[in-house]
Parts: sequence; C-alpha cells; structure tokens
Amino acid sequence: MTADRAWVRVNGRDVPLDDVPGAERLLDTLRWRIGLKGTKEGCRTGDCGACTVLIDGRPTLSCLTLAHEAEGAAVVTVEGIDDDPVGRQVVAAFRDAAAVQCGYCTPGFVVALTGLFKERGSETSVSSLLEDLGGNLCRCTGYAAIGRAVARARERLR
Amino acid sequence: MPPVRGSPGMAEFSLVAPRTVDAAIAELRSHAAHEAAVLAGGTDLLFDLDHGRAPPRTVVSLRRLPWRTLDWTDGVLTVGSTLPLRSLELDPDLATRLPALAQAVRAVGGIALRARATLGGNLGRSAPASDLLPALLVLDAEVDLVGPEGNRTVPVDRFLKASRETVLGRAELIRAVRFPEPRPSAYAWQRVRPVNDISQVSVAAAYSPRDRQWRVALGGVPPRTIRVPDAEASLRGARPDAEEVAHGADRMGRHPALVGDRRASDEYRRRLASALFTRAVAAAVAPGGGRP
Repeated sequence: MTADRAWVRVNGRDVPLDDVPGAERLLDTLRWRIGLKGTKEGCRTGDCGACTVLIDGRPTLSCLTLAHEAEGAAVVTVEGIDDDPVGRQVVAAFRDAAAVQCGYCTPGFVVALTGLFKERGSETSVSSLLEDLGGNLCRCTGYAAIGRAVARARERLR
Repeated sequence: MPPVRGSPGMAEFSLVAPRTVDAAIAELRSHAAHEAAVLAGGTDLLFDLDHGRAPPRTVVSLRRLPWRTLDWTDGVLTVGSTLPLRSLELDPDLATRLPALAQAVRAVGGIALRARATLGGNLGRSAPASDLLPALLVLDAEVDLVGPEGNRTVPVDRFLKASRETVLGRAELIRAVRFPEPRPSAYAWQRVRPVNDISQVSVAAAYSPRDRQWRVALGGVPPRTIRVPDAEASLRGARPDAEEVAHGADRMGRHPALVGDRRASDEYRRRLASALFTRAVAAAVAPGGGRP
C-alpha cells in the first residue's frame, strides 16, 4: 500500500477507496461493494440509527458518512463486533434478553451500545445509556426487551 | 462484485479534500458559487444533495484541515469548526461552564449523528430551527472566518442573516467558534419526540457575570433565531424574582415572530415560548447553573 492510496480499514481488513465515487455513502460501500449486509439501511436521513457502525470506536451513522470521509479510519460493523470483548457481551445480552423481534434495528443497537460502553465505561447508568440510544428506532417497538438487554450487558461488563 | 446501489435520487458529485486552508479556498474560488458546496460533517448537506435542494458538481471536504480542536484558555472556549459535536459534548467542563451549549448539543440528533455533525456546519447551514444557534446567541459566540480577503471575526448575531443565509462570503470558511466566558445558562425546547426531532420552539437564556445582563434567544422562528431584548430587559440581576420572570415570559409569548406552520400553530408556539422562557431562566439560576 502506497502512502497516497486512500483506504479504510473495515473489521481489520484494508479496503481501497480509489475506485469509490466521491458521492458513495459508507453504508453502500459496506453493503454493496464489500458485501457486509449486517449494517442496515433504514431511513437514509439520519433518523433511525439502523446503519450505525463504529468509526475509530465511536458510533456513527454510515448513511450520512461519505466513504472517503472515513479515509484512514477503522470501521467496525456488526459482523466484526464479535471480535471485540465488549461487543461479544452486548450480543450475548441481546440474546439472553430476547431483545430481537424482526431484527432489522438490532445491528444498529448492538453497535451503538458497544460504542457507548467503550466511550463511557460500564459504570454509566442504564437511564443514561437508554437516553444515548434515543437515536436508534425499533419499529416493532420492542423497547422493553431492549432496555433489559442494556441492563444485562452492563451487568455482564461490570 | 455486486453493483453498488444508492438511493434513487442520490446525487453525483466529485469530492475533493484539500490538505491546506489555502488550497481549500483556492478550490472554492475555482467554481461558480452555486456549483461547489463545503462539507464539514455532512449531516445536513448530504440530505439536501440527495433531495435536490443543492445540486453542486463539486463538494469540498474540510476533513484534512486541522480544525478538529477544542481549547479552554482562561475560561474562553474555542471550538474548531470541524470538531464533531460528540467530542464537544464529551468535554468534561462543558456542562458546568456553558450549560446552555452542552444542552443544545445534546438536542441535536442522536449520538451517531453527533459523531459527524459539527458546530461549523450547523452555523454555515444556519437552519432556522437549529438547536445550537439560540445557545450561541446567548453565549455571545464569535465566529472566526478565513477567506480570500484574509481573516475576520464576526459575532454570531451578525453572522446570521436569515434562514440558511449568513454573511459568509464566496470561498470563505468558518475556522472556529469562540465563547468568551462561562455563563449560568440553559437551553429549553419542545418537540414531538425528544430525540431526532425538530424543535417547535426553543429558548436559551444566559446571565453574564461580566456585564450583569441577561441574554435570551428564541429559536424555531422565521426568518432566523433571534435575541429578544424586551424579555431580557425584564430580568434584573443574577437571581430574577418571580414577577420579573413572569413579565419576561409574557413578553416572550407576544413576540411577532411566533407564527404558525405545519409543526405548530401560532397559539401553541406563543404558549411554548412563555413556558420555555420560564423553564430556561429557572434552570440557569438553579444551583449548578443550568440543569433543567
């Protein structure tokens, strides 16, 4: 890899950006260029959180991020979340709490919650975590179970 | 490889990311004004590009400029224009020194949107219902600009002209926003959903220990977020009494900018403006200086 080639690291793998058009959203690069379909397209306007990925550890909307804007950054999608010790606990908590109905919003919630724990630590209160998950919508309205998953993930990590 | 699909209306444009401020200015100067757009975080711009409200052929990204900064010096906060709002919100001193700004930042989208959105972008796009502009007005934010004619600093009240109109000149960029002093302050809003929604009306209030005057701003009104001098004049001193607050609330509710639209009726907006004023002033003077 030469210094002037643009790339983004996705789940530990370097993906070149040279052939990616400037207007392409990171969401589309992930889903259609490299085939990682775990990241979901919900609204494409930043209102639902289904497309949340970690960029350098921080939960970020991939629908409002041009692929080139993530140049040089480390992106983690839900497919890579199991490689993260915090992410593994979050996934297990969602499973234990049966916090999945249709499942479309689940990757966004799992990735966002993983990022929140990494950013703010596992001592953060459940109510504060839930407030910070306010940008993630569950159209099945399965919030009670998701709330239990958040509490359970926090217990697992403490 | 499967074809890369976007949304049906997705815009085509070329993206350039200059490595220096001079190169960014030169790039912008090389295009007609309406053919180039500046990208900071992109949360507002990309929506407009997709929905045909902004059809530029070139998008100039600021991502390589060294403006993702935050600095406190002697109580003065300077925020680089491309610092993500999420980084600003996670600053440990923000909520105690500039509570209105901390609350306003938290009112913008969700955390994953704030990972992209920036203070510079919010100012440059200057949407009439921006949650940040009322706080910037009452905190007397100053906007540092850099452009072909050199640098200048403009108070935010002068920076804003109308809905999505600012004093930014051709090829001029917002470099940083400065907050001159910590102030007891608060930001209060009303909307249908608490997160990821547009405020129907919002009110920011701040008391300046330096000149012992209140500043009050009203957001979500046409044509732009404004200061409300009559409501400010009702409040005297650091701890206004109930009568002063009631007087100010009455004046707030009579402001002629409170008109009806699809998000709220004029009557509802007037009641909201009064109630939010009362709430913001109460929160600003509460112990701890601004937790609503």
